[in-house]
Amino acid sequence: MSAKEEILKRLRQNTRETYDMPDLDSLKPITYVDPVAEFIQKTTTTAGAKLIEKKTDESLNDVVQTVAKGLPPSGKDGKCIIASNLSGIEAQLNPDTVSEARELMAADLGVIEGRIGVAENACIWIPQQMKEKSICFAAQQLVIVLRRDAIVNNMHEAYARIAASGDYFQQYKFGTFISGPSKTADIEGALVYGAQAARGVTVVLV
Amino acid sequence: MAAEAYLQNDAVVTRHDQTFFGVRQKRDRMAQALPEWEDLREAASQIKKHTETHLADYLEKFEQNATKNGVHVHWANDAEEYNRIVFDILSSHQVKKVVKSKSMLTEECHLNTHLEAKGIEVVETDLGERILQMMKLAPSHIVMPALHVHREDIGDCFRKQISNFNEIAASYPTPHDDPNDPTFLTYVARMHLRQQFAEADAGMTGANFGIAETGDVVVCTNEGNADMSTSIPKLHIVSMGIEKLIPNYKAMGVFQRFVARSGTGQETTVYTSHFRGPRPGGEMHIVLVDNGRSEIIGNAEHWQTLKCMRCGACMNTCPVYRRSAGYSYTYFIPGPIGVNLGMLRDPHKYYDNVSGCSLCCSCDNVCPVKVDLSTQVYRWRQELDSLGHADPMKKMMSNGMSFLFNHPALYTSALRLSPMVNWVPSPLINLKLNPWAYGHEMMKFPKKSFHQLWKEKKL
Repeated sequence: MSAKEEILKRLRQNTRETYDMPDLDSLKPITYVDPVAEFIQKTTTTAGAKLIEKKTDESLNDVVQTVAKGLPPSGKDGKCIIASNLSGIEAQLNPDTVSEARELMAADLGVIEGRIGVAENACIWIPQQMKEKSICFAAQQLVIVLRRDAIVNNMHEAYARIAASGDYFQQYKFGTFISGPSKTADIEGALVYGAQAARGVTVVLV
Repeated sequence: MAAEAYLQNDAVVTRHDQTFFGVRQKRDRMAQALPEWEDLREAASQIKKHTETHLADYLEKFEQNATKNGVHVHWANDAEEYNRIVFDILSSHQVKKVVKSKSMLTEECHLNTHLEAKGIEVVETDLGERILQMMKLAPSHIVMPALHVHREDIGDCFRKQISNFNEIAASYPTPHDDPNDPTFLTYVARMHLRQQFAEADAGMTGANFGIAETGDVVVCTNEGNADMSTSIPKLHIVSMGIEKLIPNYKAMGVFQRFVARSGTGQETTVYTSHFRGPRPGGEMHIVLVDNGRSEIIGNAEHWQTLKCMRCGACMNTCPVYRRSAGYSYTYFIPGPIGVNLGMLRDPHKYYDNVSGCSLCCSCDNVCPVKVDLSTQVYRWRQELDSLGHADPMKKMMSNGMSFLFNHPALYTSALRLSPMVNWVPSPLINLKLNPWAYGHEMMKFPKKSFHQLWKEKKL
């Protein structure tokens, strides 16, 4: 008998009484009068990220280049190395065309797109829409572009949207919620931003 | 013995106590901020009860979906089989270095020692775990494993063991007076670990959850180390205990809201990553590990420990854990859940931990999936005698007390005479024959007993 058969057999033999799945629709999760305001507040406080509300007369690229100018540059020309595959963004690295994922570790700024924002905890759903997802983690700083009409109240609503959508996990079988910069408190409990992944996150609401 | 040395220093113990109680308080604030908190706990408990008692069906469904997504699924009866499977995958890819995010399952199975003995370098990438690995220490907590280590020791360890420490230190832009400043040391670790990610041939992660309906593996971290480990190397191996399954995304909504709120008092972990298949040009393997879990489901008294999602809330609230730290326990998972899991692993080896509980029941009230932790500890204590591990001294005392309480005349005289103990010189009382004297001053017996005061109407 294979290990699988043995494990399943033991489980079936040893399980005593069984329990039904509860009705999760009766849960009344928290909602907000203004989910966008709540999302902005959570993002800029507990999540430790920055947030820019793009004006209608600005281009996304202008906003991104302004963010880049405020960062310590590592490019030979004294400029930031930007990585992105979003149309209209001037970038030096493209996660679709780099030959190795580790090349994106050289990016000063990664620019990616989020699809759902969650007001209760500042999470942003980022389905993989690029060949190398290392851009989402390995870039020193991250800009996440999010539509303000894509903000929901809580995680239940977010997961319901993901489950109902046919858009995700198609070409690339990965998606992640990111709520801000990488952080740790492993040394004596002192909170430090910039553990292994992005040191800083700027959310651009469009 | 590590525990004894640690506990010698009162200030250290107090700091440990306060640090973890601080986390517990943050958790309370999270709970109070959500009106639906108790409903969520009940829902989480019921989802887990349902899933664990239908686990064979859900595992089959999970395997089917994961396979459909292009993932290789393996099954391991025990630690030995698990270690062999992982080694075989790694060696068939000629892996020399593997980067690994935190997984209690790999600790349970001693994977690292197994791989290292076969010449594969294993690099832990969670900062706390990396510190412990470099210092050759065991975790003292399941979520914050190195919080008991002091910055000076971490700094010394980094300076000795990170070969390009000086080069990294020179690139740190912020002036700092303390050579062991946590922000600086975290920067050093960041640079050191990013080099490891770039060099590694494979990445390993645990699994916080497996979703049967879609075949997703969900990994939650704050550092992003699980994502770095799986975004750069092309081979990803997931180690997952079979009890980690949940049915679907609806259930995931409940658990995502709990993991960080319960464990560290944050609204969410920074990263909640859903791995549904291999990277372009990569490979993904999931090893489903039993290692005793399918026996636990048949244990009428203790099967609900399978609901645990390893958030650590029970240890943060536990007064015994907070004041005695992780090394006081003989099982590698400390605190209330560790006491119970240790007994399920091997009661003859880990029975000593069941006395590390004051039965205050605080753990039962914070557990997000309502594992009845203290009730289970109590049950284990009742079973100690039949396991042959009842403490003979305590047994004698219990028998003696039972005799005393059943003979009122004797009890009353004993009570009347007890203040005489106060006149016995303290070295005689606090000698080694009296186990109470370990770590305690002998108490003063009052002149009059409660009974006497009551009879004299002085209460």
